[in-house]
Amino acid sequence: MDWFYVKGILILSGINLMAVLGLSLLTGFTGLFSFGHAGFMAIGAYVTAMGTMKLGLPFIPALLLGAAGAAVVSFFIGRLTLNLKGDYFCIATLGFGEAIRLILDNVQYFGGARGWPGLPVVTNLTTVVIVDVIGVVILANIIRSRHGRNFKAIREEEMASQTIGINVFRYKMAALMISAAYAGVAGGMLAHLLGFIQPKMFQFIKSTELTITVIFGGLGSISGSVIGALVLTSLPELLRTFASWRLVVYGAAVVFIMISRPQGLMGGTEITFTNIKKLFSRFFRASGEKAGGGGR
Amino acid sequence: MKKRVALLIGCVILTLSLALTGCTPAAPTDTPAEEKPEVVKVGWIGSLTGDQAVWGTCELNTVKMRFEEINEKGGLLGKQFEVIGYDTRGDATEAVNAVRRLTAQDKVIAVLGPNASGQAISISSVLEEMNVADIATVATNPKVTIHDDGGVKPFNFRVCFIDPYQGAVAAGYAYDILGFRKAAVLYDVADDYSQGLTEFFEKYFIERGGEVVAREAFKFGDVDFRPQLSKIKEAGPEIIFMPYYYKEVALSANQARELGIDAVLMGGDGWPSEVLLEMAKDAIEGCYFVNHLDFDDPDVQDFKNAYTAKYNLPVELNGYLAYDAVELLAHAIEKANSFDPVAIRDALETAQVLGITGKINISKDTHNPEGKDAAIIKIEDGAYVFQQKYSAN
Amino acid sequence: MSVFLQQLINGLSIGSVYALMAVGYSLVYSIMNFSNFAHGGVIMIGSYIGFFAMTAFEIPFATAFCIAALGTGLLAVIIERIAYSPLRRRNAPFLYFIISAMGVSIFLENIIIASPIGPTFRTYPKVFGTTPFIVGGVNIGRLDVMMFVISAVSLMLLIFIIEKTRTGMGIRASAYNLKASALMGVNTDRIILIVFGLGGILAGIAGVLFGMKYTVYPQIGNITLKSFIAAVFGGLGSLPGAVIGSILLGIIETFTSGYLSSQFRDLIAFVLLILILVLRPRGLMGKITEDKA
Repeated sequence: MDWFYVKGILILSGINLMAVLGLSLLTGFTGLFSFGHAGFMAIGAYVTAMGTMKLGLPFIPALLLGAAGAAVVSFFIGRLTLNLKGDYFCIATLGFGEAIRLILDNVQYFGGARGWPGLPVVTNLTTVVIVDVIGVVILANIIRSRHGRNFKAIREEEMASQTIGINVFRYKMAALMISAAYAGVAGGMLAHLLGFIQPKMFQFIKSTELTITVIFGGLGSISGSVIGALVLTSLPELLRTFASWRLVVYGAAVVFIMISRPQGLMGGTEITFTNIKKLFSRFFRASGEKAGGGGR
Repeated sequence: MKKRVALLIGCVILTLSLALTGCTPAAPTDTPAEEKPEVVKVGWIGSLTGDQAVWGTCELNTVKMRFEEINEKGGLLGKQFEVIGYDTRGDATEAVNAVRRLTAQDKVIAVLGPNASGQAISISSVLEEMNVADIATVATNPKVTIHDDGGVKPFNFRVCFIDPYQGAVAAGYAYDILGFRKAAVLYDVADDYSQGLTEFFEKYFIERGGEVVAREAFKFGDVDFRPQLSKIKEAGPEIIFMPYYYKEVALSANQARELGIDAVLMGGDGWPSEVLLEMAKDAIEGCYFVNHLDFDDPDVQDFKNAYTAKYNLPVELNGYLAYDAVELLAHAIEKANSFDPVAIRDALETAQVLGITGKINISKDTHNPEGKDAAIIKIEDGAYVFQQKYSAN
Repeated sequence: MSVFLQQLINGLSIGSVYALMAVGYSLVYSIMNFSNFAHGGVIMIGSYIGFFAMTAFEIPFATAFCIAALGTGLLAVIIERIAYSPLRRRNAPFLYFIISAMGVSIFLENIIIASPIGPTFRTYPKVFGTTPFIVGGVNIGRLDVMMFVISAVSLMLLIFIIEKTRTGMGIRASAYNLKASALMGVNTDRIILIVFGLGGILAGIAGVLFGMKYTVYPQIGNITLKSFIAAVFGGLGSLPGAVIGSILLGIIETFTSGYLSSQFRDLIAFVLLILILVLRPRGLMGKITEDKA
C-alpha cells in the first residue's frame, strides 16, 4: 500500500467526515432527514473559492466564510421547510440541492457548468485532520450540553418536547445551520484539494452517500460517523479492481447492512438516550476498542 | 479537559489506524506484479459506470485491444504491457483517487483518459506531484492543458481538438458553406461540454454576422425537449445547433420532427455513433456534425471491424481517440527509448504521429494536437457521409 | 394561440409520464409511509424486459407488455421480501426503509451496466408509427395518445381493485391504519405484498411506455425523482393527488420553459413546490397522518 495513495484516501475520508459530522447532528441527533447536503457543500466550495480567488483571503478564513455562507443559506431554507414532516422535508431538501446546482450551472461568474479551474491546492492531510478534530470536539461539546439533550428529545418525541418547553423550531434550525456549516467546510476543503470545482460534483448521489454514511455508522453516534466516513470512503477504493461491478457490490452492501444491522455500526439510539455522561465514557471506550480491534 | 484531550488523541488514532488497516486487503494485488517486472503498466481512467459508461467502456476496450495487439507483435522496447483501468463514475474526486492509485501503487508509466474535462482538470496536481503524464481522450475544455495564466500544465496532454475550435468550425461551416444566417441553440445547461460548445458557437456565429434567434436549455437527465423546441420553432431558425450527446440528440431530433420543425440540425462530436442512426435515422437525415475523422478511411474500417468482432459492440467516437492516445503514447515510448515517465513526458511534448483521427502534432506550448482538421459529416440516406475537412479561420 | 395550445399538449404529455410513475410510488407510500426510491429501478427493469421480449424473443407488443408488467410485479414483491420485510418486522423507522430502497436502486442500475446488457442505449421497435396527428395547428404524437389511453385504463383498473374488491378494502383499511387493520383481522402481510405487486405492475407499464416513447438505458430510474416531487405536489399517499400533482408539474415545467426561462426551469418549479408546501404542508390532497409520526 503506497502512502501517497493512502494519504489521498485519508484526505477524502476526512473531508467526507466533516460533512457527515454535520449531518449526524441533523439526522442522528435531531431526527431530520436531508437529501440536499451536497447543495450546502457546493455553497461552501464556491464561497470558499471566492474567498481565496476573488477576495484574496488566506485558506482558513476563506473556509470560515464558506461555512458561514452555507449556514446563511440554510437559515432561509430552514425558515420555509423545517415545519414539514418526514418525506415532505426530504423532498424539499432534495429539490433545494438540485436548485443550487442549477443556479451554479447558470452563473458564468463562477464558470457555470464548465467549472472553476485554477484554485490553489492547499488542502493536505494536516489541515484535514486538524479541522476534523476541531469539528469532532465542537460537536461532542454540543451533544454533551443541555442543548444536546434537547436535540435528542426532539428526535424521540417532537410534540412532548414542545410541551415541556423546548423551542422545537429553534433547535431544528440550529441543527440545520450547524450541519450546513460543516458541509460548507467540507466543500471548501474539497475545492482546494482538487483545485477545481464544478456543479456536477455535488449531485444528488453525493447527498445520498452522506446520509448512507451517517446511518451506516449508527444514528446518534459521533464515533459511528467517524468510522462510517472512513469505511465508506475506503470501501469503493478497495473495490476498485472490480471495475463496473463495484457499484453493484456497493448497492448490495447497503441493503445488507440495513437488513442485518439497521442500528448501524456503533449501535442504536437506545445507548445514547439513557445517560449522557455514561454515553460519553462508554462512547470513548467503545471507539478506543474499535481502534485497537482494527489494528489486528 | 483531560477527557477532551484523550478524545482528541483517540480520534486521531482511530482515523489513522482504521484507514490503514482498512486498506491492507488490497495490498496483495501489487505483489504478483513485482514478481514479473518485465511487464510495463499503463493506466486508464474513465467512466465504467454512471451516465458516461457507454463511452468509457468503449475507451477501455479499445486501449486493452490495442495493447494486446502491441504485445502480440512483441511489445515495445522488448517489453510487454498491462493495462490497468479504473472506473471514476464520472466523478472528479474519484478520478483523483484513481490516479493516485495508478501512479503511486500501480506505478504506471503514463495515464490515458479520462473522457471528461472536469476529471482531467482535477487530476493535474496529482500528475505533477508524481511526475506521470496523462493523455486525455476527449476532454475538450482548453483549461485541461493550460493554466489560467496561459502557462502549460507540464503533465497534461490530449489528442482531441478543443471547444473553441470545434465551436468555430461548426459556426464557420454553418455560416460560410451552408449559408445559414439564423441559428437556434438547444443545450444542456448542466453539462460542461455542452455549455462550452454553445458559448463558442454563438461567439463565432455572431462574429461572422449571423443571428442566434433562440437559446434554450435543458437539464441533464431530461428526456423531453418539446417545450424548448416549440419555443425554438416559433423563432423560426434555419439551423438548430445541438451540442450534446447522441441519446439526447436522437430524442430531441425525433421530437423536433414530430413538432413539424424542418430546420437543419447540426452538432458536435457528441453525435457520431451507430446508435444515433438506429434511434433517429429519419429525423437527422440531411443534418451535419463536426467530427474528428472520416469514418470511411480504410484504417478506421480495420479498427472498427476488429473491435466489433472482438466485443460485439459498436465503436463509439471515444474509441478512435483512445486508439490515437495509445498511438501517441507508443510513439513517445519509442522516441524516449525508455519507460521513465518523465522521459515519456519529454518525448510527448514534441511528438508527431499519424493517428486514425489525423496527424497529431503536439505543441510544446499548449500540449494540444495543433492544426488538426475537423471532418464535416452529413447524414445521407441513413449513413454518415464525409463531406470535407474543414478548419476554422 | 396555437403555440400556447401546443405547449399545453406538451405539458399534459410530460405530466402523464410523471403520473404513470408517481401512482405506483404513491400506492406504496399510502401503506408503508416511506418513499420507495427503488421504484425507479423497477421501472427501468420493466423497460428492459419489454425491450428484450420484443426484440430478442420477437414476442408481439401486447404480450411483451404483459410479460414486462408481471415481471416487474414479481420483482417488486421480491424486493419487498428481501429489502423491506426484515425492517418491517423490526419496526425500523422510515429512514432505514429509504436507505434500503436506495441500495436496491443503486444495485439495479449497476447490475444492468455490469452485466452483458451493458450501458448501451436501446430503442424499441416502432409499433405505433411516428407521424403525429395534427389538430388545429397542434401536433399530437400517436404514442402520446396511446400512452394516455393505456395509463387511463390501468389507473381505472387500479381504482376498481381498490374501491370494489375485498382485497381493495383491505388495502384501504391498511392505508388508514396498518396496525389497527391487523388487529381487525386483515392479513396485512399479504396486503403489503399485493400493494408492492400492484406497484410493480404499474412500474412495468410505465417502464415499457417510457422505453417506447424515449429510449431504454440504465439510468431511467433517475427520472423518477421528478415523479417523487410530483407526488409531493399532489400530496403523498393520495392516488388522485399523484395524478394531479404530476400533470401540474408537467404543465408548470413546460410553461416555465416556454414562457419564462428554460435555463432556470427546475429552480422555478422548486420555488413553486416550496410555496405549495408552505401553504399546504401536506401537498394538495395529502393523506392525513397523526402528527406524531
